[in-house]
Amino acid sequence: MSMPAITPALASVVFGAGVAAGGVGALLGIGGGVFLVPLLHLALGFQLRTAAAISLATVIATSSSVSAARSGTQLINLQLGMVLEVATVAGSLLGGFTAYLFSESTLQRLFAAVAVLAGIALLGRLNRRNVVLDPNADPGRLGGRFHELESGGVVTYRIRRLPLALLASFAAGNVSSLLGIGGGIIKVPVLNAWCGMPVRAAAATSAFMIGVTAAGGAIIYFGRGDLRPLAAAPAVLGVQLGSWAGVRLAHHTPARWLKLLLISVLFGVAVLMILRSVQ
Amino acid sequence: MTKLSIERLEQILGRVLGIGVAASSVCLGAGLLMTFASGSTTIAGALLTAGIVMLLATPLARVGVSTVGYASRRDWLFVALTLVVFAELLASIAAVLRR
Repeated sequence: MSMPAITPALASVVFGAGVAAGGVGALLGIGGGVFLVPLLHLALGFQLRTAAAISLATVIATSSSVSAARSGTQLINLQLGMVLEVATVAGSLLGGFTAYLFSESTLQRLFAAVAVLAGIALLGRLNRRNVVLDPNADPGRLGGRFHELESGGVVTYRIRRLPLALLASFAAGNVSSLLGIGGGIIKVPVLNAWCGMPVRAAAATSAFMIGVTAAGGAIIYFGRGDLRPLAAAPAVLGVQLGSWAGVRLAHHTPARWLKLLLISVLFGVAVLMILRSVQ
Repeated sequence: MTKLSIERLEQILGRVLGIGVAASSVCLGAGLLMTFASGSTTIAGALLTAGIVMLLATPLARVGVSTVGYASRRDWLFVALTLVVFAELLASIAAVLRR
């Protein structure tokens, strides 16, 4: 038995979890899989690979609906996204190789270490902004500019340390199908803390990419019969509602709050990963 | 013909993603309601499967449309990048079909 019977009551719980995952997906550009997988697996009794498969389907849903709602705001850095996608999908294709080399608990501990490191880096830069207030500043080949409510005008940013962004995207894709996540939790902090991207643009660009990151793994799970449509349906529908609300909320949330929320999520994920690794 | 701007391309991609995810949600919602109302029927099962397939196809469609968009901009570096991503995604499908 790979999953519990899908009753209307269980479907409602899964739907609610989807709403929360969609909400953080829209606010922070992460799919919410890091929370959805343990909930489905540990709390609701789904087998790990069924939980990962459902989670990857919701990541595609968050990514698609958040990006659809954001298109035209210039928050999504299309050029950078396309470049990083090459690395993230390559990472996801080689995910099986990584799973062969490292045990799952080693990966989870490694993940926790990265999350803590990124959380500390973000804490140190809480009040530093990556944006230049001059709308005529040169964004470079991969930078961007967008209109920001809290700065009251058009802001510009440049991308630094592209190789690090590529490495983070590769790593995110690499653990994606194994852990059932889109990898935004790795990409957003790295892009914000070390690559010069404002948190809002990093979140929007990550949300845009995670759908493609998750697609490879989700297709493989579906082909193997682990992605059950009846179990995935309530989660995907919940994510739609959560994303819709999150996009509207994100617009009015100050960058500092978004960073604080991201930092708490990172530390929460680190604890969760350690707990799962010693299980 | 005027060159397709990046902003316009972003809007088109947003449209593709929006349509894909909306069509998928309609199928999943209808399939779910039918299953709860009258049990697992063939139609309900087909709707649910169609919803998931559409969901999985959405990122692929988005990457494919990006390639076409960059080609019409004659931005060959990005045509190459999106083609690599598209090929990588096709490799996942190939991995499933080979089993």
